[in-house]
Amino acid sequence: MTQSTTAEPPLLALDGLGKRFGSLQALEGVSLGVRAGTVQCLLGENGAGKSTLCNLIFGVYGRSAGHMAFGGAPWAPASPAVALERGIAMVHQHFSLVPRMTVVENLMLGQVKGMLHRHEFGARIRDIAERFGFVLDPDAVVGELSVGERQRAEIVKCLMRDPRLLVLDEPTAVLPPGEIGALLDICRRVADSGRAVILVTHKLAEIAKVADRVAVLRGGRLVADEDMAGADMGTLVHAMVGREVKPLDVALAEPDDGVADQPAAAEATGPRRFALVCDGLSVEDRHGAVRLDNFTLEIRPGEIVGLAGVEGNGQSELGMVLAGLLRPTEGRFYMGDVELTHAGAAAVTAAGGGIVPEDRHAVACVTAMSVAENMYLNKLGQFTRFGLLHRRALHAAAETQMRTFDVRAAGPEVAFSGLSGGNQQKAVLARELTLDPLVALVAAQPTRGLDISAVEAVYRQIRAAARRGVGVLLISSELDELIAVADRIAVLYRGRLVGERPAAAGERAAIGALMSGQVMSDQAE
Amino acid sequence: MEETLAIFIASTLRLGMPLMLAASGELVSERAGVLNLSLEGMMLTAAFFGALGSWATGNPYLGVGCAVLASLCVAAVQAWLSVDLRANQLVVGIGFNILALGATTLLYRVIFGGLSREEIPGLPKLAVDGLSNLPFAGTAFFQQSVIVYFGLALMVLIWVILNHTSFGLAVRAVGDEPLSADKAGIPVARTRRLAVLVAGAMAGLAGAFISIADIHTFTENMTNGAGYLALAAVIFGGWNIGRTIAACLLFGAATALQFQLPAMGIVVPTAFLLMLPYLLALLAVAGVVGRLEPPTALTLPFRRGK
Repeated sequence: MTQSTTAEPPLLALDGLGKRFGSLQALEGVSLGVRAGTVQCLLGENGAGKSTLCNLIFGVYGRSAGHMAFGGAPWAPASPAVALERGIAMVHQHFSLVPRMTVVENLMLGQVKGMLHRHEFGARIRDIAERFGFVLDPDAVVGELSVGERQRAEIVKCLMRDPRLLVLDEPTAVLPPGEIGALLDICRRVADSGRAVILVTHKLAEIAKVADRVAVLRGGRLVADEDMAGADMGTLVHAMVGREVKPLDVALAEPDDGVADQPAAAEATGPRRFALVCDGLSVEDRHGAVRLDNFTLEIRPGEIVGLAGVEGNGQSELGMVLAGLLRPTEGRFYMGDVELTHAGAAAVTAAGGGIVPEDRHAVACVTAMSVAENMYLNKLGQFTRFGLLHRRALHAAAETQMRTFDVRAAGPEVAFSGLSGGNQQKAVLARELTLDPLVALVAAQPTRGLDISAVEAVYRQIRAAARRGVGVLLISSELDELIAVADRIAVLYRGRLVGERPAAAGERAAIGALMSGQVMSDQAE
Repeated sequence: MEETLAIFIASTLRLGMPLMLAASGELVSERAGVLNLSLEGMMLTAAFFGALGSWATGNPYLGVGCAVLASLCVAAVQAWLSVDLRANQLVVGIGFNILALGATTLLYRVIFGGLSREEIPGLPKLAVDGLSNLPFAGTAFFQQSVIVYFGLALMVLIWVILNHTSFGLAVRAVGDEPLSADKAGIPVARTRRLAVLVAGAMAGLAGAFISIADIHTFTENMTNGAGYLALAAVIFGGWNIGRTIAACLLFGAATALQFQLPAMGIVVPTAFLLMLPYLLALLAVAGVVGRLEPPTALTLPFRRGK
């Protein structure tokens, strides 16, 4: 297959492509050919220019330099609409669905003219889904679907236009582990139907399963472009990060700095027995469905407890409750010795509860404000005299913090929105970890969308906090990370704590079984 | 008693009509994400130019044409400011309302000056053959101005467009998630401009109804807040056309009470009755009566890219 297609000209050819945003050279001299019937992976760390490249191909931006050709003709789409019409479809990292409309309405949008025939169109949706091996209910309201289902709706939306090239920008970043395989199967089937697929990711392990070719971007330049068959993982990683990195397990393992866990934790324990106590927390949503069911967990000072589970099994609700943003229907929770069940977010902060929310953009920060303002959002009072903000002191303090926590930005005064995801997360973490007192840290999906070096930095900080005696609840859907970082792992399934396991690599299968609801552990009755 | 009720229903329909016309147009615009606070100004402008056109040509239908055209001009500027220049929709709307009040008052004094209170050629009442003589229903429903029947047909049309056509789908999408709509290949700016023009045309009919069909003259500030009531009705109606029209009828009924209660010999302070529709609107907007979610991108200008 690969041999025969090599002779054909590529469906999409990029030649010296460049894109500049103001003073930032996002992409430079990228030349690449993508053939029909293949899955082309595009690897790169955050900020490497992967999304920019996709957006150029799809006509979201115009290029600054170079040429593109699609199907043998020069390619310079003025807008996504033009790209769609001419045979390129794209599944974006952030879904472009209207949550309040149904799947069929979303898919008809821009596709049909005149009167709407929902029934016939719905049948077409079912057909296409079936052809590529999955199921989709056309009449479901998008806002009520799971992330995986929404993504499949996006994919069908693209496939309905019968594109010759399908671009998927970080499609696996939002998916729970169990749904990634299904997505890759769909990619394979799409390629096998004679189309080309561009799959953007920074998760190396995934691509081996599905890619025909792999290209690596670093700092806006193409640093590798080869057949997957002959590719060496180590070389690819090296190309991606541009320096030697330890594999994930090693990178996340406890640094060997001679400080043993046990004494530190014992020392920090002091008068408190528990840093965080959840006692029978239950949450019902407004439709009366139980989202969190009698959740009980105790975390000692200095302990890191991982909460594993496929996304949508009550983690979000638990995170909201512990942040003081959602009142539980039943149950109580304490941080230190303070009951905070109905106290609200400000009281959680005052009691020493550091919160790293799941949704970095909407909840954790104010993207339009500066880095310094965001880093001290919960302590602005310290820099206020006579009701006025003492900005110079704020910036000085922020600069120190930025160095300590390795937040890379042009300065404390730049807008938070200009930072990369990793640096934003490090800044949020810096804010929460410098609370005084800090009793407990609740970090929800703290590494989502971050590149390997940022993941490493985030966990280094979390681990350091635990050594200082902070009890940490780490909510994540990345089981490997939990195993590497946590002391023990509790598993959430359909809002219930279904079991608890030591954080050891040998427990992976057992934890996986709990996550999928196949077995109930003895402890959970 | 039955006669009184029939008259009450008829006046509810008559008084609610300009609200229904304006609100159903505004609904389209708001579903597309553009709030026309200038609805009041559009209606007032339309009422004036409708009266002027009807008086100058002697033909009330040409008057209606003038009204719609004048209102469309206001709407076009509103669309240009709020969609293309991304001006703050609230500020633009308030500006238009003040401008419309000043301009129509001035023009009225200059043009009509001495002959104020002169009756202008109005639209005929359309007594539907065979139906207008029906007991009760005839009085209640079938002795209305032609605009009433035309307007009701337009509202059905708007419902069909919003829920069963691709344009309606585009309107709802650009009002909720313009970025998604753009990515789906929907021309966001053009859809929004069109939606504002629909609001303008309907506000034009509403203004014409007030000056040509209902009162047959123009007076200063004759819309008297009807545009704001229509805006409130859209919120009250939860951005759903059926409920919006019901809200307009409720406001119409509250206004009709001003005339009905004294006629029935029930003594209620006039000031209270004058206040009633606005009070209802206030309660509605405050969410006392079942709050519903507005279109996500309402009043938010759209810019492609970052």
